[in-house]
Amino acid sequence: MKIIACYSNKGGVGKTATSVNLAYCYAQAGYTVLLCDLDPQGASGFYLRVKPSKKLKDARFFEDVERFTGSIRASDYDRFDVLPANLTFRDFDVFLSRMRNKRSRLKKALAAAGSDYDVVLLDCPPNFSTLSENIFRAADQIVVPVIPTTLSERTFDQLVTFFEKQGLPKKKLRAFFSMVQRRKTLHLDTIERMRKLYRKRFLNAEIPFAADIERMGQNRAPLGVYAGRSAAAIAYQELFDELENGEVSTI
Amino acid sequence: MANDDGFFVFSGRFDLTQVSKGLKGFSLKIENSIPRRAFNLLDCYDQSVRAGGRLLIQTDDVLRLLNSDGSVVEQSGIGTGRFVQDLPEGPVRTALTGFSSLRALMGITSGWFESHDFAVLDDLQKTQVRGFAQSLSTQGGQVVLVCVQPMRGYDRAFQTVRAAFADLSSGQQSMEAVFQALLPGISPYKAKPDIALGTDEPSVQVATDIIRTYLHVARQNEAGVIADIDTEFLHDYRVSLRRIRSVLSLFKGVFSPDQTAEFKQVFSDLMAPTGPVRDMDVYLLDKDMYFSLLPSNLHLGLEAMFDQFRAERARAFQALTKQFRSTAYEQQMSKLTTLFSEAGAIQPGPNAARGAYDYACALIWKRYRKVCKLARRITEDTPDEAVHALRIDCKKLRYLMEFFAPLFDKKAFKVLIKPLKKLQDNLGLFNDYSVQQDALLGFVSRQSNAQGRVNAQLALAAGGLVGILDQRQRAERHRVIASFKHFDSQDTQHLFCTLFHHKEVKT
Ligand SMILES: Nc1ncnc2c1ncn2[C@@H]1O[C@H](COP(=O)(O)OP(=O)(O)OP(=O)(O)O)[C@@H](O)[C@H]1O
Ligand SMILES: [Mg+2]
Repeated sequence: MKIIACYSNKGGVGKTATSVNLAYCYAQAGYTVLLCDLDPQGASGFYLRVKPSKKLKDARFFEDVERFTGSIRASDYDRFDVLPANLTFRDFDVFLSRMRNKRSRLKKALAAAGSDYDVVLLDCPPNFSTLSENIFRAADQIVVPVIPTTLSERTFDQLVTFFEKQGLPKKKLRAFFSMVQRRKTLHLDTIERMRKLYRKRFLNAEIPFAADIERMGQNRAPLGVYAGRSAAAIAYQELFDELENGEVSTI
Repeated sequence: MANDDGFFVFSGRFDLTQVSKGLKGFSLKIENSIPRRAFNLLDCYDQSVRAGGRLLIQTDDVLRLLNSDGSVVEQSGIGTGRFVQDLPEGPVRTALTGFSSLRALMGITSGWFESHDFAVLDDLQKTQVRGFAQSLSTQGGQVVLVCVQPMRGYDRAFQTVRAAFADLSSGQQSMEAVFQALLPGISPYKAKPDIALGTDEPSVQVATDIIRTYLHVARQNEAGVIADIDTEFLHDYRVSLRRIRSVLSLFKGVFSPDQTAEFKQVFSDLMAPTGPVRDMDVYLLDKDMYFSLLPSNLHLGLEAMFDQFRAERARAFQALTKQFRSTAYEQQMSKLTTLFSEAGAIQPGPNAARGAYDYACALIWKRYRKVCKLARRITEDTPDEAVHALRIDCKKLRYLMEFFAPLFDKKAFKVLIKPLKKLQDNLGLFNDYSVQQDALLGFVSRQSNAQGRVNAQLALAAGGLVGILDQRQRAERHRVIASFKHFDSQDTQHLFCTLFHHKEVKT
């Protein structure tokens, strides 16, 4: 099992859009996926038309496997399940690492409940909290959308510094440029500068600023469902390919 | 009617929108449809797919297998006339793993097929339940089968939808109901039909019932033999005749001596032309095995040999089908059918009136004792003939037990048949190895010229095989001895005795 966190210490950069579309790419590629909506606003659930679960209001939730698995909802898409909203619990990281440990009781209980996913994707809220720090430790990869502007550059710098200070492995950080507008010199310059500065941290794939992505709010479905051939959908596919196979597919 | 699987069968027409009323708060939306097209219902002759609670259909070049839990698998490929193991790689072939490798798929019936996938949506247009409705219609009737599948976390919706369909459906909710609607009044072919028996039924009646039944089974295989669909048709035909012949020889004195002699001749003549075809079928079925027995430098000769086998089979098959198609054969078979269907048409013998149960006990007990006597004498050194004789007697014992099984305790019979069957399997292999050696030697001598010379490749291959078969035969004899020891246990002896050897007790 692989845990991928979609995180940024800045709001509105495309974390939720990325989580939903990446999860869809994984599921389409044949992986079983659980998308956990860790944002109290429940945006991922909104995009997938899944109503937040009442059962999740309890703080002892993660100690109870049955309630965890009982709160999971099927999305409308094969192999793609959702755990809807509001999972701000201190022990979530412990839960996650047990989830991955083959010999843990939790892992076996999850497998028995049909909740042994190939990929667990976390849609994180935009802040530095104990939760985020814990997630940095538990996740295999931390996918960070970065809008190529001066302000984002500063926030990303803070994130990297935080990793260094805390002795967290920086190679988990897989950043990519989000909402890219190639007509803007500022964007192009920032991209060039940041790619040089953080050579190994950035993926080649870029997600353009696209009206098709904005429309996810009206369509309430992953991009691939209603605009599968759009440039933006292809960009997400490339992001998936690079994360999964380390390369950008040529198709 | 409640149904745990969410599988519903509606006979006649069924409109999906009918169910909307029962869906409080949900709406039903058709998502994908396969428009009306011709379908072929596929199964093998004894309908094993159906017996497994499944439905296999062919539409265009797509094979679609519907399981009784409502799951569907599809793959492309043509199934008609093919064996499951010869289908292209795919999920349908995988799902049919374990299906008889000897039985070919054939069209059982045909008609029109149509399918609609649907989703049950909540107020946010989120899908909470999925399902599909498939309509199948044949000359026999029309049926719509609906499967609803739960989605994780939406169990309540699933229960609602299920209840809505259940309210509209009636009758049996199973795959069998689908078959009955599509093939009304047609019961699947059975190689070994149940034959009802009464304890005090006169033995002549029992014999007549068995013969009539197996005459019918034999006849049901004729068309399949002629069409050469698979080798099981001829095999079943032969087994039926063999059962009839065993009744004629085992039920001594139920028919008059003249009548018995005449029937024996008639059925022996019917059997005769089937032997050469069956022999070649057995070789051809085992072709891969033969190739694996010999090193590849002898394969050339083996190829030549199998070419000959195929040619021989073709000749024998032609002779057989010519017989099957002849007027004389048709007349003979219908005469026999009439004879065994009419009460009093056959001259009874001295044992005709004996009660079935009593008669069965006597016959089985006698045969059992004979088997034991023969078997206990077999050692490493007894001649092959003794082992062959044991095989024949075991077969007779088995037939007797099967014929009269309805008169006895089912469980006890199972206990007895199991070790007997094991012994018979070993005896069968022993016999096969021996027959095959003889046949190979005979084959080589037929292939040799006036000077007794024969193609070297061919002789090498045959020689290699005979050597291996001889070794196998000897190894099998060990197993025969071991299996008999197992069959000859105290418990089995005791059970045979209590079941069949009680002159005084008669129920
Ligand atoms: N590549 C893009 N092009 C255009 N619009 C985008 C793109 N990515 C996201 N958006 C839009 O920007 C808004 C914010 O995106 P999203 O919710 O994915 O960001 P977020 O990082 O999850 O936000 P938050 O920090 O509030 O959780 C949404 O309205 C979304 O439709
Ligand atoms: Mg978000």
